[in-house]
Amino acid sequence: MSRGTAERVVPTPLVAASHQRRFVLGDRIFRAMAYAAALLVMVIAVIFLIALVIPALPAITRFGLGFFATRTWDPVRNEFGALTPIYGTLVTSAIALLIAFPIGLGAALFLAEDARLRLLRGPLSFLIELLAGIPSVVIGLWAFFTLTPLMRNNVDPFLQHALGFLPLFRGTPSGYGFLTAGLVLAIMVLPIMIALSRDVIRAVPRELREASLALGATNAETIWSVILPYARVGITGAVLLSLGRALGETIAVTMVIGNTMQISTSLFATGYTLPSVIANEFTEANGTLYLGSLFYLGVVLVLITIAVNVLARLLIWRFSGSGRAMA
Amino acid sequence: MSLPLVRILVDRVVGALVVLCVMVAAIPVLVLFLFVIIKGFPGLLTPGFFTDPPHPQGVPGGGVLNAIIGTLEIVGIGSLLAVPVGALIGIFLSEYGRNQVGDTVRFISDVLTGLPSIAFGIFGYTVVVLTTHHFSALSASIALAVLMLPVILRATETALLLIPNSLREAGLALGAPRWRVTLEIVVPAALGGIVTGALLAMARAAGETAPLLFTAFGNDIVQTNPQQPIGALALTIYRNALLPYHNLQDQAWAAALLLVILVATTNILARVYVRRMQR
Amino acid sequence: MKRVLIALSVGASVLLAACGGTSVANNPSTGGPVAITPPAAALTGAGATFPGPFYDAARFAYNLKFSQVTVNYQAVGSGAGIQQLTKKLVDFGASDVPMNPTELTAAGGSDAVVQIASTLGTESLAYNLPGVSNGQLKLTPKTIAGIFLGTIKNWNDPALAADNSGVSLPNQAITVVHRSDGSGTTYIFTDYLSTVSSDWKSKVGKGKSVSWPVGQGASGNAAVATRITQTPGAIGYVELAYVLQTNMTQASLQNHDGQFVIPSPDGATAAASQFPAVSPTQFSIVDAPGQKSAPISGYSWLMLYKDQADKTKGTALVDYLDWLVTDGQSYATNVHYAKLPTNMVKADIISLKTVTSGGAALLPSNAPAPS
Repeated sequence: MSRGTAERVVPTPLVAASHQRRFVLGDRIFRAMAYAAALLVMVIAVIFLIALVIPALPAITRFGLGFFATRTWDPVRNEFGALTPIYGTLVTSAIALLIAFPIGLGAALFLAEDARLRLLRGPLSFLIELLAGIPSVVIGLWAFFTLTPLMRNNVDPFLQHALGFLPLFRGTPSGYGFLTAGLVLAIMVLPIMIALSRDVIRAVPRELREASLALGATNAETIWSVILPYARVGITGAVLLSLGRALGETIAVTMVIGNTMQISTSLFATGYTLPSVIANEFTEANGTLYLGSLFYLGVVLVLITIAVNVLARLLIWRFSGSGRAMA
Repeated sequence: MSLPLVRILVDRVVGALVVLCVMVAAIPVLVLFLFVIIKGFPGLLTPGFFTDPPHPQGVPGGGVLNAIIGTLEIVGIGSLLAVPVGALIGIFLSEYGRNQVGDTVRFISDVLTGLPSIAFGIFGYTVVVLTTHHFSALSASIALAVLMLPVILRATETALLLIPNSLREAGLALGAPRWRVTLEIVVPAALGGIVTGALLAMARAAGETAPLLFTAFGNDIVQTNPQQPIGALALTIYRNALLPYHNLQDQAWAAALLLVILVATTNILARVYVRRMQR
Repeated sequence: MKRVLIALSVGASVLLAACGGTSVANNPSTGGPVAITPPAAALTGAGATFPGPFYDAARFAYNLKFSQVTVNYQAVGSGAGIQQLTKKLVDFGASDVPMNPTELTAAGGSDAVVQIASTLGTESLAYNLPGVSNGQLKLTPKTIAGIFLGTIKNWNDPALAADNSGVSLPNQAITVVHRSDGSGTTYIFTDYLSTVSSDWKSKVGKGKSVSWPVGQGASGNAAVATRITQTPGAIGYVELAYVLQTNMTQASLQNHDGQFVIPSPDGATAAASQFPAVSPTQFSIVDAPGQKSAPISGYSWLMLYKDQADKTKGTALVDYLDWLVTDGQSYATNVHYAKLPTNMVKADIISLKTVTSGGAALLPSNAPAPS
């Protein structure tokens, strides 16, 4: 949607003059209400900031930036550090993107422009969109009961058998842990990745594509040499937005990550992510430092998510040349 | 003029890969649906599922009535808060928002959309629970309202932007003041889009769990008082999944099925509506 | 079929018991029973998962009897329960370990909070070893400490084999499951380990949350139970009721006297009988002497504010708790908890009588204490 469609229509002097006395009050009130609503949004944002940052201050002042480099999380000795949950968040998100990026891009290429199987495009597109609407807790439920045994009994042993020389696949798989959580996240970000990439690919000018084909390039070559390079910025935006989603996902991950405060090179190991720690320990944190540390984790999480999201939207916005709404 | 074999092969392979990717992408949702329906449906048929709150182990019957009512209540109150305000902000953005204030609001809205859902729980806890000194349906509703706000706001703005200016100009030319043009002409024309946005936001809110953990608290008793802690389908699923009792696990699956039906219905309705508008 | 019968009989007895019996005080003039009917109130409590099944059965029965009182109890863990009570977000908290001095100070001082024992339970070491049936696995304090310290890593470790001749333990890594939330169950377990293993005491210590040397975390007794049932080779400490209600396999534990016992409510009663002078400051009953004592037993506690701001709620609360420690105890055995010994019930009632609102005591002074 380009920004030009709703230009402000200023009432002509004739029309305005005839109603100036009678209705300007109505217009004024409505305008005030509308601005008040906008103000409300800003107030909410400020309250949000305060509600998040102020309780975190005891931890911020006590630990400062060293918080990010500390592995310990010890409520008994009142020593806290964010490194372990940050590691878990990064690892699970990385796994999610590694899986979702190629599959998502491939699917987007099909849905955006493929001339074959056109009839399937609609239903497939619908199915994938539907996935986006499935609540996180339902995916977590399925992952907990169906995916974890599958991982433990089939997938993990296979990976260990094939790639066990890598430290990534050592240790006894329990079905919970980084790999399973990463897989769950991949499923959850796939719809976003596909939808955004598809729009980005569609925005590539037809002329470029047709020119490439006219010059004798195959579809695959056109994709590789023309479409992808052109859409590179937008696709990066799509990846970043998916990353933002993966970073903040709480419930489904908490149900399969294993809730262990540890860093491990093995993907089969259980661990913790930033949102999971908060979800699990928030209601029982005693003392301002413990609670403050949890809020500090929250601040970190929110800041990272905002940064990633803003960057993503900048890239996509600049690429598609529009301010289209992305919910 | 035929192309070298390699190039044709590469083209075919990439073509196949792309199809494979989209098939793979469609698998999770099908698998999810399959499992939720198979494992959840029997639970729906258990006597007492829709009419009873949870019973202690050993007492026959038991269900999720408390959670169903809870979800309806918190989404209902949340919508009452978020829909009018969100719509008004959307109107602001489209009719008065071509300026820095509007841009700031859009930015904040985008930021809110991307926040982890647990942040809304922290918001509800700090702002409502701690100040009122109890967990409550109200605090959960407020957390969900803030969560729904950006979605409704954006959907309203988009819907209003789609209305051609000629409609606005016609209204003004007929002598109506701007506020009447907006409220009585433009908004009704865009109502479908606004309602769709609201419905999608409500469906999302119904499925959220993290905002409820420190606000709604959970309640095994059927009650509707907004000042009291309350249960919800999402909470029931989350907590029951971790319990070792089979009947409660079955209830979790059945509750998941309810949520999935809700989400699927809303999405289908939204799609049908959009398609009808495009004709 | 058997499980269905058991379930139905438990259910039937809950319903029957609710219809019979009344919460009584002694009528001062006639000496006969006077029922304590509570005012209408919606009570909220939070805390331990250890007594969860008992509280669930009790509140359901109480509501059947007195429909004007609803009790909403959420088992969020002992640590969370104490926090919610301190912040005055709930009416009562529940924890398997009474509040320590720091927690009491945060709540307004040791005089501000009343703590009563609500039930008596015991912990099992549940495991998932397909070839090893219930009670077959024998664990001693040494091997338990070894497993949880991570020095015994595999089920076929010689230390385990030594105690388990005749049982074939597989070559499989041990997956330790512990609590990830602040837990009174953990406190009791680590209290036990600290008592029987100087190694554990110096390396880890006891607490509601400790720095576990090995293992994965799950939130709540129930979640630990679920994790164990789903993970072959897993072992963890779980309250007995969860183990029995879900037919898990548990180990025979060697108690202080060297006897191998399978944890049971009777074992808990035997352990408790060794410690007649239990109070909120002196409450440990782990590693109790006695042939039949279950080694990892403990009371569970309920805490409320001595001065209740809301008189109606406060009255309903003490009425409910008074019932819980007297008539309500009959619901304990069906869900595999032990009834409170008489001395504890007496102490509880005395404590409950000190709860006031606006200066006036809420429990009638003639509320019965068992003789």
